[in-house]
Amino acid sequence: MFFLFKYRFLQTIREVSVMFWALAFPVILGTLFYFSFGSGIESTGEETWDTVKAAVIAEDDSSENAEAFHTFLKEASGKLLKLRWDATEAEALEMLDEGKITGIYYVKDTPSLTVGKNGLGESILTGILDSYNQNFALIQEIASTHPEQLPQAFEALNDYRQTTREETLGGQTLDPNVQYFFALIAYACLSGAFLGVRASFDTQADLSPLGARRSVTPTHKLKLVITDMTVLVLIHFINILILNVYISQVLGISLGDDLPSLILVDFMGSVIGVCMGLAFGSISKMSLSMKMGLSVALTLVPGFLAGLMFGNMKNLIELHCPVINRLNPAAVLSDAFYCLGIYNDMERFTRCLLILGAMSILLFITAFLGVRRESYDSI
Amino acid sequence: MIHIENLVKRYGSFVALDHLNLDIQEGEVFGLLGPNGSGKTTAINCLLALLKYDKGNITVFGRQMHPDSYDLKKDIGVVMQNVAVFEQMTVRENIDYFCGLYVRDRNERQKLVDEAIRFTGLEDYLKMRPKKLSGGLLRRLNIACGIVHKPRLIIMDEPTVAVDPQSRNRILEGILELNRQGSTIIYTSHYMEEVEQICSRIAIIDHGQVLATGTTEELKSMIKTGETITIETIHLGENELDGIQKLPHVFDLTYEDQVLKLRLSSAKHNLIRILNYLQEHDIAFGRVFSELPTLNDVFLEITGKELRD
Repeated sequence: MFFLFKYRFLQTIREVSVMFWALAFPVILGTLFYFSFGSGIESTGEETWDTVKAAVIAEDDSSENAEAFHTFLKEASGKLLKLRWDATEAEALEMLDEGKITGIYYVKDTPSLTVGKNGLGESILTGILDSYNQNFALIQEIASTHPEQLPQAFEALNDYRQTTREETLGGQTLDPNVQYFFALIAYACLSGAFLGVRASFDTQADLSPLGARRSVTPTHKLKLVITDMTVLVLIHFINILILNVYISQVLGISLGDDLPSLILVDFMGSVIGVCMGLAFGSISKMSLSMKMGLSVALTLVPGFLAGLMFGNMKNLIELHCPVINRLNPAAVLSDAFYCLGIYNDMERFTRCLLILGAMSILLFITAFLGVRRESYDSI
Repeated sequence: MIHIENLVKRYGSFVALDHLNLDIQEGEVFGLLGPNGSGKTTAINCLLALLKYDKGNITVFGRQMHPDSYDLKKDIGVVMQNVAVFEQMTVRENIDYFCGLYVRDRNERQKLVDEAIRFTGLEDYLKMRPKKLSGGLLRRLNIACGIVHKPRLIIMDEPTVAVDPQSRNRILEGILELNRQGSTIIYTSHYMEEVEQICSRIAIIDHGQVLATGTTEELKSMIKTGETITIETIHLGENELDGIQKLPHVFDLTYEDQVLKLRLSSAKHNLIRILNYLQEHDIAFGRVFSELPTLNDVFLEITGKELRD
């Protein structure tokens, strides 16, 4: 068994193209992210931000909602957010053009925000508006369904805001760009699919001569499959740990303090990635190059939906179709990392782990059923 | 040793094996000869239980062959038509890996690997990866991986395709040596010269059916052709050709591009009789060749087409 393990290990780590996609590409992408975001990323949690400046234009503050938003902004204004209340719309737009402010909040029945470009400050302003809209919708729903519980709801929201503010300013990090790195690690986990696809090709007689040769030996197919899976998961787990160390130690981005939990998520991500590749590799008779090409899409699309290219994507999906975030392994992995690095929300973290566990089992069974065949209709 | 009975394999409406029957005895070098697409590889894959088949019965070493017949598989070595080695591993690592799929004991494995390396003459290339090897060396590595565990039965599916003549000869000599060491060999090819050179018994296969089985001599004796005479000559008219056609034992005649080709049934003095006729009729001629029947003639007579097609 050890000898099977040894040779599979050697064979896999020497496969340059596969290891590029599984290890080098995420590391390169992480480096590019780091330099793209520049010094905006801060790992220590110390307050190093510039205050975000915005103007407030009262377009129509007669409605109840507009009034509530006005009050909300007054409360939100402080160390992080500096608001100008006295500017006219024309003056505000001019300041926005000149870069003196980052955005303009419009107080009206449906509050809105205008920003000049994309960046950290703009993301913070958007986040504040999103947070207000979500809470307002929640309060409205409670008022219509359980009006007697409104006082408790207000209290809870107040606590939540307190908690959030205390933890983000005094705790880990506030940087919304860190979510790109969580999405990156999630993507890297899924890129274990490249290893899985390659290995499935060497296992099945109908896909390659090597698969045929291995199938006619007296070594039980189950043993070959389990050895392959174990080696690939181990290699990819090491890949992910290397990426974690690179991000946290070389790039200096904090991934949280709970190391055992982080390693657990890394491991489950590696299992999901490899099994996804094995399953995909074994269900069709396409050429290896075609499968490797499709694997790029198989890993990048979930990565994109988890916010790899557009940071707010996961939040948008959460708002409009949350079930996608529950089914997308990259989103679940990213969420689990977020729980560790930002929220410290063990309940949500446990839910993520359970979903990852269920997905792993499902993918493992699919992969195993796909590669365990010993006799074929055609070769 | 191997018994295949009424084997039928269909791919949709295409019948790849059509009630194929074969019996192979221990100690033979058994040749499976047929053109490309005749069903040789399909038969081998069914024999190895890699392919499901629609009908028939296959026994190896007197027992039914199934995909999970691991105790039978340990005595079988396979040299695939396509080279099946790991590109990322060296020559020695590849041979050791495939040996390890059959032999657990490390010391025994090392001994077998060394023997296989010597046998295939790969001593100078042990640390090279397959990509760096020439076509001939790659084929030799492919063979080494298939025979390293010294199996009782070795199946070689066209192992010399795209190999230079020097490597081909070395491979063929190696196959005979394996047979001398006690292995039974099934050798598939569409190169009749190879099959004729090394096989003790041959089955001619086409359209998934065995058309004839026997030793080379037995197969040749099954056909009408005893001799093929080729003569370079110019200006042969209808009358002369008619005259030659009517000579004793001539049963087939073609005249194209100033080359006269005659097929004659086996008889004494065929060539002298033909040359005398040409002299008597003042027909000038150049080079003259006389050939005994080949497996191609056997195939041609049985199927009506050239094996090389």
